[in-house]
Amino acid sequence: MVDSRVAPVRAVPFVNLRPSRPSVQSTSTGFERLFTAEYARVTAIAGRVLGDQAAAEDVAQDVFLDLHRRFGDDPGAQAPAWLHAAAVHTALNAIRSRRRRGAREEQFAADAPPAGDPQAAVEAAEMRREVRAALARVPAKDAMVLALRYSGLSYAETAAALGIGVSGVGTRLRRAETRLRKEVIDASL
Amino acid sequence: MHLSDGTLRRSLDEPVALDGRSRGHLESCARCQSRLTGVAADAAGAGALFASPQPAVDVEAARMRLAAASGAGPATRDRSVRHAPAPRRPLGAWGGRVMAGVACAAAASVLLVVSGGAQDFLSLFQPSQFAAVPVSATDVRSLAGLTGYGTVTGGSTPFRITAEASAAAAGELAGIPTPVMPVPAGVSGAPRYAVVNGTVVSFTFQAELARAAAARAGGQLPAMPAGLDGSTLTVSINPAVVISYGLDVSALYKGGGSLPSSGPAIVVVASRTPTVSSTGVTVEQLENYLLSVPGIPAGVAAEIRAIRDPEQTVPIPIPIDLASASAVNINGAPGLLIGDSTELGSVVLWQHNGVVYVVAGTVSAADALGIARSLH
Repeated sequence: MVDSRVAPVRAVPFVNLRPSRPSVQSTSTGFERLFTAEYARVTAIAGRVLGDQAAAEDVAQDVFLDLHRRFGDDPGAQAPAWLHAAAVHTALNAIRSRRRRGAREEQFAADAPPAGDPQAAVEAAEMRREVRAALARVPAKDAMVLALRYSGLSYAETAAALGIGVSGVGTRLRRAETRLRKEVIDASL
Repeated sequence: MHLSDGTLRRSLDEPVALDGRSRGHLESCARCQSRLTGVAADAAGAGALFASPQPAVDVEAARMRLAAASGAGPATRDRSVRHAPAPRRPLGAWGGRVMAGVACAAAASVLLVVSGGAQDFLSLFQPSQFAAVPVSATDVRSLAGLTGYGTVTGGSTPFRITAEASAAAAGELAGIPTPVMPVPAGVSGAPRYAVVNGTVVSFTFQAELARAAAARAGGQLPAMPAGLDGSTLTVSINPAVVISYGLDVSALYKGGGSLPSSGPAIVVVASRTPTVSSTGVTVEQLENYLLSVPGIPAGVAAEIRAIRDPEQTVPIPIPIDLASASAVNINGAPGLLIGDSTELGSVVLWQHNGVVYVVAGTVSAADALGIARSLH
């Protein structure tokens, strides 16, 4: 299926950052604390989209570097939301550009850690392939909310990353899950 | 007026967000209940599609990589960093109990160890590391159903938390040296000490109960390995010493106590690693069997299977709606950092030299890690 409905995803997230007040302590910067607190989560978000740990860590590195380049050592209170949105944008761009290049889906799973149960490994790889294919086909808004929510972000965090109100997350998530179901069913027919 | 699709969807993940009027409508409206069934089915399908192992992340290695890539200051790190004062967070009585619950749940998770040994004789082991298994609220409900597959006899002695006057007294009673730590920044008042007594809990797998539970879940039990029916796991939990700031753990446990009006509440727990004895089946047999019974979500089963060394690794379920977890290094020992997505608090747990440590508090993940690394 051609992903003609998919608009290019902006590389620059849209969350506005505000400088925070100077830190009262300390020998560690706001950026360093942010890195400690958020690196695993940013990797998890990218991993949900990419299905590949090494690629997810590459995305996380790029995103943190970009954040520091733009906002320095004290990126402000909205930096987590910026990071979450940037992780999804960058990861979605990666799977969509690979699809455009016609890369085989299996290449993503090549670096997956070996599991003890071969059958389970095959099933897990198949599931990752389905997720990537479906995320590449649904509209970007839907892919965003799915990746954020199923990475474990709360509704409030998802809303902050999307730049919408908390009450709008349920509506967007419901719509995205409906589209996802249709995409998966269509793909299996 | 019927509930919107968005409201129905959110009610699955955050039921407390539903106001009383909407809740009342949902309970009495067959149409909305029917719609909710469809919404839940789509959510479950999406959840199954996205369920996948969440590999551990080495944050320190990532920090070094970033430093190398940037060639500048962002990732350089002063290891003698002091803890920043914890940000003020509204924390009512409920919030405090949640934190106490988080701490207790983390400690209890450490104790939920499944071990095995050669058939027909007792074996003991001590787990050496922890692995996070992300689960959804639906998964948690399914996992809770596992208790229907056998009987749990809990506690040869009931849990009891006793306040002690000093670190030395607590350590002597618990039979473990009380950890020494600098006073965390931002706390008010002196540290309190307490001891949690040890106990023994057993789980006996019973085929008859398991068949009935499987039938209720709409399936049948897979073929049982020899020796499974009647096999028993016995967990011996050692006494624990507890240090708390801003929180009287023993009073809280009894339903009383007060919470700090300002500053964070911090709890540090140390206990010798629990030991587990088993009869009947090996750990691999038991793990594979329990994961294959009807009612266990496929995603959770895949995640637990992905843990490479089940005899030495304790899987700790982390609800993805409430928290996220990442692998951390505590002065050379592997551990887990659990962050509460509601920002009520953080938990760090690790094991070193046969002692399990838990740090929990209404503090940021970075501060919880700092406290954990300051213990000696």
